[in-house]
Amino acid sequence: MAESNVPRWPGLVGTLASLAGIGVAGYLTYEHFTGSHSLVCSDHGGINCLAVTTSQYSKVLGIPVALLGLIYFVVMLVLQLPQMWDRAEPLIRRARVGWAVVGLVSVVYLLYTELFRIDAICLWCTGVHVLTFIVFVSTVLATLNTEDPLYEGPPGRQR
Amino acid sequence: MPNDPQPPRGKPKKSGASPPAGKSPGNRTPGNRPPGKGPAGGKPAGNRSAPSGSASNRSAASGSASNRSSANRKFTERQAAKQQAARAARQARNRTLGIASIVIVVVIVAVLIVVKIGGGGGGNSNSSVSSPAAGTPVTAAITKHLTSVPLSTLAAAPTSGVASAPGAIKDAKLTADGKPELLFIGAEFCPICATERWAMYVALSKFGTFSPAPGRLHSAVRDGDIPTITFYGTKYTSRYLTFTPVETTTNEPDGNYYVTLQTPTPTEQKIWESHTDQSFPFLDFAGKEDLTTAQFDPSLLEQGVTFDQIAADVGNNSTTVGGDIDASAKVLIQTICSKMTGAKPATVCRAVGNG
Repeated sequence: MAESNVPRWPGLVGTLASLAGIGVAGYLTYEHFTGSHSLVCSDHGGINCLAVTTSQYSKVLGIPVALLGLIYFVVMLVLQLPQMWDRAEPLIRRARVGWAVVGLVSVVYLLYTELFRIDAICLWCTGVHVLTFIVFVSTVLATLNTEDPLYEGPPGRQR
Repeated sequence: MPNDPQPPRGKPKKSGASPPAGKSPGNRTPGNRPPGKGPAGGKPAGNRSAPSGSASNRSAASGSASNRSSANRKFTERQAAKQQAARAARQARNRTLGIASIVIVVVIVAVLIVVKIGGGGGGNSNSSVSSPAAGTPVTAAITKHLTSVPLSTLAAAPTSGVASAPGAIKDAKLTADGKPELLFIGAEFCPICATERWAMYVALSKFGTFSPAPGRLHSAVRDGDIPTITFYGTKYTSRYLTFTPVETTTNEPDGNYYVTLQTPTPTEQKIWESHTDQSFPFLDFAGKEDLTTAQFDPSLLEQGVTFDQIAADVGNNSTTVGGDIDASAKVLIQTICSKMTGAKPATVCRAVGNG
């Protein structure tokens, strides 16, 4: 197995942020499937989790966004484990960066819907968005820190 | 460098086996050799001296080999330098891309927030959730539940929560398609309409059918955000009456008001204005009675109650919401039976005491 020259902090940051993301997204998923009766959040004015989590934008192709968030962080947790950062295979690096980009694009879309379509902000969702951003930044910076990031070299050569 | 092929140590190659000058020896990969490092043996070939007492031709051959080694070394160094420069360029490019991507994300988020605060971008601080004008489909199970509440349940609904009821008017008889007409003028943003539609749907389902079934939406967020259904995009068919819904706006804000959806005909507008100051909802029961508000308190549905919860409560008189919707539906059925259909169908009207 090829060893990378990545420092330890990205794995630690990514793992912790992913674990926190699983916690928050898991909570929102639970609330989604149990009618949001116990959702701890303001439900009036600009901060209104219920308006967001029960809006028409709370599902994508019939799948709850909260569940998609949970799946996202579970996959990201695997990719962020320090053992995975120790592996220098380009496929793993690309999967990690690509998955982080997917998360961030989703966050921008969801932020747009909150601000301009739902007209309400969900604090729990914002927490998920911040965690996604942290994972993205740490992933990008750490990947850049490695020698020759994402470069496989000419065909037939092994790094 | 384990995969860097080297000639056997201490065995100078024969001239015939040497690679041509200017060509990398063997399959050596220049990039794998650190720059400045000499050929095999770790000793610069140029310093290699010929054995003492050798013949002059051997000395000449040795000098020729030394020149070739020097050329090879320079070539290797040049290649390594090129390789390193290319790697540095790639790293610089990736670093720029990565940092630029982070900056772009931050800028996008900042722009979204600034536009939002500035009130631009098609929304403002009082904007609301927009829905498809015809709402989103309601599941078959919920539709069946709402359209098949037992008449006995409606008849038994407690009326303690019903605060308003249709009142008599003296207009010309309102008809359409040869049948008495129930005119509804409402708006999808309107929370009072959102409240009353639940009872209307339950009641009208006893006299006919909607096709397609009404979609689900909610009143505007700034106006209660009450889950409800919409009659826009549906067609009601009944042997006993004609139902004419006019949903004048969507729940999507347009400046200080909402996006226009349907416009009443001049006749409908005239009737509407004659009984209200163009407020919502307005129900005209064949010109004999009208209803200009919800029959029960809309705030009951403003407390974060979901569409599914309200739907589940319908037909359950032991819940406040369910009891109020059922009782309101009963009143509507009684009014339709007594003022519009001549107590038909008998099974329906008799069940609620108007047969």
